[in-house]
This record gives sequence, C-alpha cells and structure tokens, in this order.
Amino acid sequence: MNDFEIPATESTPLIRTDRTAGRLEMSGDSYPENSFELFQPVIDWLAGFLDQVLQPLTLELKLMYLNTSSVRAMMDIFDALQDAHERGQAVTVNWRYDRDNERVADLAAEFKEDYTFPFEIIPGS
Amino acid sequence: MEEVDVLSLREAFSRQGIMLGFNGPFSATLMEEIGKALRKHMEGLSESPSAITDVFSAYIELSQNIRHYAASSGVSGAAAEATIIVSRDEAGHYVVSAGNVVLHDDGEALVARIGELAALDRAALKAAFKTQMRQPRDPQAKTGAGLGLIDLARRASQPLACSVKTLDPQHAFFSLRVVI
Repeated sequence: MNDFEIPATESTPLIRTDRTAGRLEMSGDSYPENSFELFQPVIDWLAGFLDQVLQPLTLELKLMYLNTSSVRAMMDIFDALQDAHERGQAVTVNWRYDRDNERVADLAAEFKEDYTFPFEIIPGS
Repeated sequence: MEEVDVLSLREAFSRQGIMLGFNGPFSATLMEEIGKALRKHMEGLSESPSAITDVFSAYIELSQNIRHYAASSGVSGAAAEATIIVSRDEAGHYVVSAGNVVLHDDGEALVARIGELAALDRAALKAAFKTQMRQPRDPQAKTGAGLGLIDLARRASQPLACSVKTLDPQHAFFSLRVVI
C-alpha cells in the first residue's frame, strides 16, 4: 500500500494518496476509455488503507466532468467507504465544485443519496 | 467517385447548422482533441458550464460507445470508423448525432433499447441509471456497463431518436441523435 501520485492528463484527473495524513485526492476531468485501468490502483490503495490503518480517511474530490465508466468506478470507491463506515471507521468525502457548474453538484448529490457516511458537497469558485 | 465539392459541402453544413463534424477512422487522441475544440468553441459562445458539460458528455459517450463497439464486435474495417456531428437546430438546441456500421442484430437491439428509454420520464431514467450502475460488472469489460445510453437520455431535452439502415445482409448503419 505505497503512496502514489498520477499526474492529470487531458482526460484523467490528478490522483494522489497520503497514507500518513489519511487522505486521497482526485481532481480534474475523468473520461478515459478504460476507467477501470485508471481507478484500479485507487481501489487497491483504498482497500489496503481501510484494512490496515485505523485512522480516519478523507476523500478530497475536485472532480468535474466524469464519463459513465468513471461514474461506475466512483461507485466502487464509495461502496468501499460505506463498508468501512459500517465497520465503524471514520470516512469522509468532500466534493468541491465550481458553483457555476450545477451538473457536478447534481452528480455528487445523486451519489450522496446512496450512502450514510459524511458526504459534503462544497460550492466554490 | 464523385469529385469533392468543398463549397457544396460547406453549404450543406451551413444549411443543417453543423458546427463541427467528423467522418472516418478515429483514435482516442483525435477524439480528445475534437472534444477540446468543441468545449473551447462553446466557451467562446459564452455557454454555461452545464450546457457545455451536457454537449461534451453526449459527444464523449457517443464516441466512446462507437470505439468500444468497434473493439469488441468483430465488425472489421468500417466499424472502426464513425461519423460524429455537432449542430444547432432552429430552436437553438445543440444536437449531437453519431453513426457507425453495426451488425444487423446489434442495430435492432439498440433501437429496442432506445425505444424503452424514450418511454421513461426523468425520475424513471434516474432510477434506471442507478439500477444499471448496480449491475455486476464483467471483470473483462472496460466500458460503463450500459450506462451510456441512459446518461444520454437524461441529458437530452427530447427523447433519443435513432435509425438503422441496411447496408448489406450482415451490416447496417446505425445513427443516434441527441438533442440537448
């Protein structure tokens, strides 16, 4: 479960993990053709963290446009957080978005409906 | 072969309100570049970020559907090619249209699926999206597991419209029109 950082590209977000801080960060657009290849390291890191580390985890998102396969991959990530939450581990999602882009807020709100851990949708500029 | 008449093509583009069009074999990189151009163009027109997202999303889902289909279907040659058009209609709506060569049965299955989606209202489409998202994923599959069409239907301001035209006994040309 080593930390990693994947720089952003035109169609993929910046992804950065920080085990010590208990933080996973993703920011940018996500519309690769093969989203599962992109998100597998995230899912693996998350599984390792939630399994081995007892401290709280915060998922910091500044995701903007997501294609449907990225949406599907995000569901797997949130499901893992939900399982951890149900086991009593502290997990939080902060999803920041540009207040002009209501599509991002809509997408985040639809996800939030399905989970019971703290899920903040934070407008900014 | 007919000689290329650039002026008449240009006139046809103008008549049909076509802003951006592509026809031929396309790579992932080319698709990204066209998408970038589309966004820049819409930003230049001072469209809202939500409108830009909807049009861009329709463009991406349609192109990726075609590329995934070409990679998986075993239709060779023409199947790796696509026709993708972004236009505006008389009412000012953005319209994203796309077409590709498919196997007959696949074309018919798509028509049936799009017909089912056309009968759903916003709430039912949202429920369908969530149900589809929860379907178990084939570990070999790289795609959004059938979410693309539902997403298109949700972003559209009118029901999705499609057509299938027979090309030969095995193949047909499938086209889909999404009015944002």
